[in-house]
Amino acid sequence: MRLPARQQFLAAEQNPRAGIPKKHLLLFVLTAACIAGLFFCENVSAQPYPLTKPQKVTPQAEKVIAQLGLGSWIWTTNFEDKQTCRFWKTFSIPENDHVRQALLRITADNSYHLYLDGREIGEGSNWKSLTEYDLTFLLTPGNHVMAIEAFNDGREAGVLMGMKVTFASGDQTEVLSDDSWRIVPNNSHRWLHQTRPDPNWPAATIVGVVGQSPWWLTPVNIMTPPTLQPSLMHFWQTTWFLSSVLTVCVVALGLSLWLAAKLALRTRAQQLLDLERARIARDIHDDLGAALTQLVLQSEVAQTEYPESSPIRAQFGQFCGSARAASHALDEVVWAVNSKRDTLRDFSSYLCKYAQTFLSNTTIRCRLDIQPDMPASVFDLSVRRGLLLAVKEALNNAAKHSEANEILLRINKEGNHVIVVVEDQGKGFDPELLTGERNGLQNMMQRLQDLGGTCQIASAAGAGCRVEFRMPLAHPAARAGFSWRRIFGAQNGETVAAEWQNLKGS
Amino acid sequence: MTSLRTETKPPTFSAASPLKIALVEDKRDVRESWAKLINSFSDFTCMCKCASAEDALRMIPPLQPDVILMDIFLPRMSGIECTARLKNEMPRTPIVMLTASDDDELVFVALQAGADGYLLKRTKPADLRSALLDVLTGGAPMSSEIARRVVESFRQKPRERDDSISLTAREEETLLLLSKGYSNKEIADRLGLSIETVRSHLKHIYEKMHVRSRAGAVARYISGKPIENG
Repeated sequence: MRLPARQQFLAAEQNPRAGIPKKHLLLFVLTAACIAGLFFCENVSAQPYPLTKPQKVTPQAEKVIAQLGLGSWIWTTNFEDKQTCRFWKTFSIPENDHVRQALLRITADNSYHLYLDGREIGEGSNWKSLTEYDLTFLLTPGNHVMAIEAFNDGREAGVLMGMKVTFASGDQTEVLSDDSWRIVPNNSHRWLHQTRPDPNWPAATIVGVVGQSPWWLTPVNIMTPPTLQPSLMHFWQTTWFLSSVLTVCVVALGLSLWLAAKLALRTRAQQLLDLERARIARDIHDDLGAALTQLVLQSEVAQTEYPESSPIRAQFGQFCGSARAASHALDEVVWAVNSKRDTLRDFSSYLCKYAQTFLSNTTIRCRLDIQPDMPASVFDLSVRRGLLLAVKEALNNAAKHSEANEILLRINKEGNHVIVVVEDQGKGFDPELLTGERNGLQNMMQRLQDLGGTCQIASAAGAGCRVEFRMPLAHPAARAGFSWRRIFGAQNGETVAAEWQNLKGS
Repeated sequence: MTSLRTETKPPTFSAASPLKIALVEDKRDVRESWAKLINSFSDFTCMCKCASAEDALRMIPPLQPDVILMDIFLPRMSGIECTARLKNEMPRTPIVMLTASDDDELVFVALQAGADGYLLKRTKPADLRSALLDVLTGGAPMSSEIARRVVESFRQKPRERDDSISLTAREEETLLLLSKGYSNKEIADRLGLSIETVRSHLKHIYEKMHVRSRAGAVARYISGKPIENG
């Protein structure tokens, strides 16, 4: 029973109506009564109350019981203030029948939590009213565990419930609050899920019947919460699944942090390498290149100081030529080394210049067809160098064998591929009749394959020749597998070393 | 754009009135070599040798040379910035850039800043002479790569108000053929023009490029980031 009710009762008892002289006296008495009541409660709370005995059911109560389908007030073997009491019971729904309706009515003095198969169905804390839960959809065939955790504030306590299950066949079954319930000790942890009672769980005690004081004969009202829907326990809601997902997440997070750190280091190593390459290129260009230019100029000047017919002038002329060639070769080295040139745009412009210079020494005209606005996509050194060598080979072949008077160089970007075409309208050849001396073609194809690209040669006797190189922009070996190996395998220093090996190897 | 120097300049040159060249180059040996080389041509004279962009800005404008040869890499103020400033003061004097390496990116920036052509430092003296004459009588030769970039730059929307500057159909045609690897001679044949006309198209293209980028150019190259080598 509720404490406030008790206090009011006590206050009324000690407050006789006759002779109230003054207002403050009334207040004093009330206050004193409250304090006394509280003190009294506090003092006796440790003491167990004697159990109430169930009385005979009155005819009025019988009607109520029949109408509402209730059991008796049950509790454990004693009443205590601030007492928790757990009830447990199993029941089974037959396999061969279908539940048409299952209504469960429950109340508790003072409060309860109701569980079915471990799931909390509801709670209540008003012992004067009844709550009606519709469990129709929850009662699947098979065994079920019903559990109630009740709490008593003070003095008498009890739980009253009854469940009526109607089957499609017309059969009915009831689960009522009676001494078939087991009392579960408060230190049991898995009791909500336990399908068998422990042998030391005592039976519940009937402490009263409907209509017995201090409880009601008819409830003040009946509350009906919405029909409960089965909460499908999906596999992803299960504890083991959630915990394994959590574990996977934690592991993934750790792994990605580790990889990110590795990648950052690798990126840093790559940056250092790029910077170093740019520095080397600059040094070669500034020091060696300037010195060579100076050499060319000085020998040109020296040349002018001799008469046209002088053999020394001719020698200086040769000297100039060699120095110019060296300067040109140096430019090529600088281009290859310089990391700032690792772009498709730069590659295309370099290739055009190369083709024009190369063919300017022949009678063959060089025609260019370059995609406008060539993007500055990253084009790795190993790839661009390999492709350059292959295109050089193709140009060389065309110049040497085709007898064409025009060679077309076409550069396009198609999706993630660079396509370089070297085409001539010369005499062509029959690819079937390729002999050993044309092994340059095999080399060309092999070189492209090594770099993850392809090379297609189309030619027929008298119909010119078309060589098409197709190269992925993100070199698969360097970007995917290879870099994974580097991330997982090599240490930082080794990465740079591997990069150098890669550069040297190409 | 309205007055072209070639129209007022007599196309013949003689030792009596040699063409005056101003040279801007920071390395002394290179500078002297260039000067000697230029002086070795009978119709050219190197009238002014500057060791820095600052010297050039001070010395060159009063002398009014016929052509200025400018190194791209100069200490402190770059050759490109110097070109932009000089072009502001003497818009009609052609400026030819000297580069050690064939770097299109840099050359293109220089052309936008106001240069009228470029030469590799290892150019043969005969080519040097003809290039200087080209600059004076028409447009300097343009490589296919530069031609491609010029076409691209004209197709982009101009940043400033100079949207009236655009290429004529002929000029664009010339540029497209250049970018396809045609020589001036082949272009002339193909379009049924004289080589001189093709060169004059080129000159106009250079000029339009300057005018187009001038408004922004000076400010960009003067306050902009330093030019990187390599």
